[in-house]
Amino acid sequence: MMYSPDQLLPLLVLIPLVGGLALSLLPNQVVPAMAFVWTVVTLAVSVVVACLAYQPIDGNPAVTFLSSGDLFFESFIPWVDGFGLSFSFGLDAISLWLVLLTTALMPLVMLGSFSAIKHRVKEYYTWLLLLEAAMIGTFVATDLIFFYICFEFTLVPLFFLIGIFGSTQRLKAAKVFFLYTFTGSMLTFAGVLYVAWFNASQTGLWSFEIAQLARAAQAMSLEQQTWVLLALLAGFAVKVPLFPVHTWLPLAHTEAPTGGSVILAGVLLKLGTYGLLRFALPMTPIATVVYAPTIATFAVVGILYTALICWVQKDVKKLIAYSSVSHLGFCVLGMFALNTIGVSAAVMYMINHGLSTGALFLCIGMIYERFHTREMARMGGLARVMPIWAFFMVFFSLASVGLPGLNGFVGEFLALLGAFMARDVLGVGYAVAAGFGMILAAIYILYMVGKVVFGPVLIPEHDDQHQPPYPSGHTHGKHAHVRDLNAREIMTLTPLAVGCLLLGLFPTPLLSSLKPAVDKLVEPARLVLAGRPHGEATIDEVTTIIFIDPTVQHGHPQDPDAARHGH
Amino acid sequence: MPETIGLHSFILSHFLLTGAVVFALGLVGFLSRRNLIVMFLCTEMMFQGVAISLVAFSRYHANDTGQTFVIFVLTIAAAEAALALGLVVLLFRRKRTLDALAWSQLHG
Amino acid sequence: MDDRAIDIARLIPWLPALSAVVCGVCCTSRKLRVLAAPVCIAAIAAAFVLTLKAYPHVFDDHGHGVFHVSWLFTWIRVGGFTADMSYYLDPLTMVMLIVVTGVGTLVAIYAAGYMAGDRGYARFFAAVSLFIFAMTTLVMADNLVLLYLGWEGVGLCSYLLIGFYYDKPSAVAAAKKAFIVNRIGDLGFALGIFLTYHQFATVQFSELFQILATQPSEASTPVQIIPFLLMLGAFGKSAQLPLYVWLPDAMEGPTPVSALIHAATMVTAGVYMIARLFPLFELSPYALPTVAIVGTATALFAATIAMCQYDIKRIYAYSTISQLGYMFLGLGVASTTAAVFHLLTHAFFKALLFLTAGSVMHSLAGQLDLRHMSGMRRKMPVTCWLMFFGCLALAGFPFTAGFYSKDMILADTLQKGLTGHSTLYTVLAVAGLFVAFLTAFYTFRLWFRVFMGPTKYEMGQEHGHGADHHPDGVSSDIKVEHHHEPHEVNWLMNAPLLVLAAGALLAGYLAHHWIGDMIQGSSARPLRQAIGAHGAAHHATLFGMDLHLAMMYISSVIAVVGIATAAYFHWLNRGAADRVAAKWAGLVRVLANKYYVDELNDSVIVRPLRFIGYLCFVFDRLIIDGLVMTVGFVPRMFGLALRPAQRGALQGYGIGMATGTAVVVLLVLMVYF
Repeated sequence: MMYSPDQLLPLLVLIPLVGGLALSLLPNQVVPAMAFVWTVVTLAVSVVVACLAYQPIDGNPAVTFLSSGDLFFESFIPWVDGFGLSFSFGLDAISLWLVLLTTALMPLVMLGSFSAIKHRVKEYYTWLLLLEAAMIGTFVATDLIFFYICFEFTLVPLFFLIGIFGSTQRLKAAKVFFLYTFTGSMLTFAGVLYVAWFNASQTGLWSFEIAQLARAAQAMSLEQQTWVLLALLAGFAVKVPLFPVHTWLPLAHTEAPTGGSVILAGVLLKLGTYGLLRFALPMTPIATVVYAPTIATFAVVGILYTALICWVQKDVKKLIAYSSVSHLGFCVLGMFALNTIGVSAAVMYMINHGLSTGALFLCIGMIYERFHTREMARMGGLARVMPIWAFFMVFFSLASVGLPGLNGFVGEFLALLGAFMARDVLGVGYAVAAGFGMILAAIYILYMVGKVVFGPVLIPEHDDQHQPPYPSGHTHGKHAHVRDLNAREIMTLTPLAVGCLLLGLFPTPLLSSLKPAVDKLVEPARLVLAGRPHGEATIDEVTTIIFIDPTVQHGHPQDPDAARHGH
Repeated sequence: MPETIGLHSFILSHFLLTGAVVFALGLVGFLSRRNLIVMFLCTEMMFQGVAISLVAFSRYHANDTGQTFVIFVLTIAAAEAALALGLVVLLFRRKRTLDALAWSQLHG
Repeated sequence: MDDRAIDIARLIPWLPALSAVVCGVCCTSRKLRVLAAPVCIAAIAAAFVLTLKAYPHVFDDHGHGVFHVSWLFTWIRVGGFTADMSYYLDPLTMVMLIVVTGVGTLVAIYAAGYMAGDRGYARFFAAVSLFIFAMTTLVMADNLVLLYLGWEGVGLCSYLLIGFYYDKPSAVAAAKKAFIVNRIGDLGFALGIFLTYHQFATVQFSELFQILATQPSEASTPVQIIPFLLMLGAFGKSAQLPLYVWLPDAMEGPTPVSALIHAATMVTAGVYMIARLFPLFELSPYALPTVAIVGTATALFAATIAMCQYDIKRIYAYSTISQLGYMFLGLGVASTTAAVFHLLTHAFFKALLFLTAGSVMHSLAGQLDLRHMSGMRRKMPVTCWLMFFGCLALAGFPFTAGFYSKDMILADTLQKGLTGHSTLYTVLAVAGLFVAFLTAFYTFRLWFRVFMGPTKYEMGQEHGHGADHHPDGVSSDIKVEHHHEPHEVNWLMNAPLLVLAAGALLAGYLAHHWIGDMIQGSSARPLRQAIGAHGAAHHATLFGMDLHLAMMYISSVIAVVGIATAAYFHWLNRGAADRVAAKWAGLVRVLANKYYVDELNDSVIVRPLRFIGYLCFVFDRLIIDGLVMTVGFVPRMFGLALRPAQRGALQGYGIGMATGTAVVVLLVLMVYF
């Protein structure tokens, strides 16, 4: 063996971590460039990992690391042996794609920040790199405590990014963001520790391996699972954020610097959905099946409610922030459809939303850099003066609205289809209600595009007259001081646009690579639905479910999705 | 190994009493004086009171851990004293007084 | 693979797609801008040629229609759900492709002249290319999801092109309205797709039709709901009641766009969709009657509004809605042949009408108001007669294209009413005849007003050459001529109109039998309700004549009467028209204000919804965030309460510590002793 792919995963975490710390040794002028280089190196390593994952095993092209759905490239660095703690790394298709999303977004965030951040440059890039390390760590961790450390550590860099580099209300935003999400995840920690304790009491050995915990937790009674699910929701639903615990997001997004917003929307919110996917579905299948309608109801209400709120926003960044809540409602809806289509759609939706909403935040950041305002009433018709920017803005808006052919459609369509098909769990009503979100999305996005991109030209006056307007490349008559995107900004947005188009036209390589891993996640819930609880579960639990929801017992065979699995 | 024990139990209580007295003196001193240096010396005294008890118990139980521990404590206390006195000097330079009440910004 | 010669048809959508990219690149440079039109025209024309090359392959050796599935690449496959980028080619597809690429080529040629000098020249052709890509994908799709892609794709292009003059707030609003109203229909469509997959476990046409052919005639309730959901999508796209409101506003776009998208092709997508999925619609006994009723109601409703409008393009827009209503009536009586036939002829004559209206606008600097022009015959003779032919066809004058197709729809409706002894269809047929009269009247009202009578005109507001061109001010490399006189447009623009005029006059006669064969060989062939199909049993008679023949006489008379009435009121005796209008002032006001539907929508739907949005926002800020903040305040309260304990005096802390330790020690002692 020339290489050992198992060592690549620790490397993925270490590169940005060490790189970020090393920045403090460098002179200020080279810091942004070096930070960019570090993220590109990380991206390169993650691409290598992805390529290796797609390598056929034993020369059979149909069999790759991805095709079994098991974890691969696992490695362990022992930590506290007595408690079964270790830094353990591993990937499956879901985490692989999310790592790729993270590593692909980071260089663009760096590129997009070059001109926006002029003060305390070193801190800014160091925090961003540490954030990247933590996010990648969350996705590749297979040990519960390691996962949790990374999960929580993401708060620290973002706290400083918002608190130092944000706009006027940044201190409040940073504080609210930190406390809100931290409080929730403390409860989550309690919940998973309970699962670990449960496992230890069952097996006599302490272990924090997520897969082992998931196996053990399935033997819990409905009541225990319900409490664990609640604890998981306390942390992860806040992070997603799911209605009604979403109120930290608009504030944090609006106040964060562009780079922070992009990361927040692009990756950090996905930690919540990823957590639900990794923990709730496999650990608490019975409770998940029982409470899926409740969670989905919150998701649907959130979709419609926040979509309506988007429509009355005056601040364009806040509009996009609220739209994130609405969008992730679709993601959660698909996830709790608990079938292959729905969960695949949820994963796809995470990636789509990362690309399109991240790009929208970048676009808005570019506007903010020029005009120092985000108020829609003060700008208009920017297509006339910034045609290239307008192209990207409209493009990403359409991706966000779910135009077929672009990425957003595939996720949204499949999430709704998944909910529609999940007759035992959700059913038609959820899909229909959420479908109205599609109309509302068109309304608020086009309202925003119509105000900002189209309409009569309105260039905001500078708040700060002392700051000289940016030098203009070419003149546009009376709007001479507004310049369109420069090469760096175009380079920032183009990869995202290409990604949106590629995922919109060729989603199948992604979806089919997800399938084994998704099937594995869905399996416990499917067994519960089939009335055959997993493993050592007693007959009492089955009766509990049937008592609570009489439809589960005989609903299964009519599900065409499941029926096809049969033959 | 009972034959190696040269001290009787009432002697142990003497040692403990000594330690307690030293500790109590230190405590009273700490609470009643406002001079930073004196207060610091009093904390050291409390420390030594505890150390005496440790040594006594260690001897009584024929277990050397206690005495080892005391050696550590003494070493650290020396280092600590160097640091603390430095800090006190710093504080004195700021306000030209050694009164502990001069430093009460952290009141609620 | 020579047996798969039809696979060249796979390229049809992708040539315009390539052209869209090239035109997009042309947008970036002023020098490249002029290249956009040739590229776009070449791509659409090449697609037309490919269509003709693929045409013979959709028939077997006996001349019967067959279908081919041409697979291009995997699009969405997950958990048993398959929706690939593959194309379904049968005679119906060919008819639609000929219309889309044929009319598309002609309109693009016209637009090359019409849009000259506009700063968005390249952008226009990029959007048109993209539109042709989406539209050809729509008609060639082999599964519902790909059809949906084309469906939303044409909606997007419509959005971009209606809002082409994006400086105008009205254009932006119209574009937004079009997209959103279509989205409402699309939700129905999407749910229809879900339900189809739910019931039949496939969304591919070839599999679907196979399953449907073996379905019992009494379908289950969910299956019966499918056509109603899909219908909603069709009503949105084809501007039927109650989702028609976007189409009149869509006239904010450049006129070639109105001709291509909002008259000839995109708006007929709903008709195509129902024709394509006809076996699905036949499964419900209520679906087709609903389509017929909505179609007739829309035809009547829009025709009455068209009577009292003054804006040329808006009259044609309402006329389009009305004619689409006819097509839906045709579908509703299971006469898909007649519906698609009308779609074909309508594409020719309505494109012609819009483009000639564009010529009038072009020469009058954007003037579109009937009240401000008259006797233009002398200024623009070619345009005058071209539009005359279009008007004849629209009015259903004997032996023009519109005459044949409209007659077929009405005859089939009446036949269904008479043979089935159904009052409903008889009433619909009579209503259809009344609409024919209205159509003839409003069509020629416009024509007589514009071209006949004394020559009078007021130039429009838009200076320079531009009809509805944006006042650019930038002298581009395309030569800009400034006219202050109405003038005939150049032959680059008139040449394609001649082709369309030929189609408007002759297509009905020539394609009469051809279209029947095409539809009978496609999935649109009615399987269960063959009564209305062309060539089916001619049992019914009227006045002792064959029904179709009788209908020809009746509708000829109606058309001539309508034209004559219009000639009297709007050419020979214009004063009489004003007197009649004054007598019915209330009715005229209602019609001129389009039955106040826009106002109603605004006050019943838009405003309340936005108000709810505000309520939600306030609720979110005050209640939900307030609750969270209250929860956050509880620990703060504890902190506030305990604050005085921290006095900042070292001794105080010392006493606290000592006391605390003492208490703990005491407690321990008490427990142990």
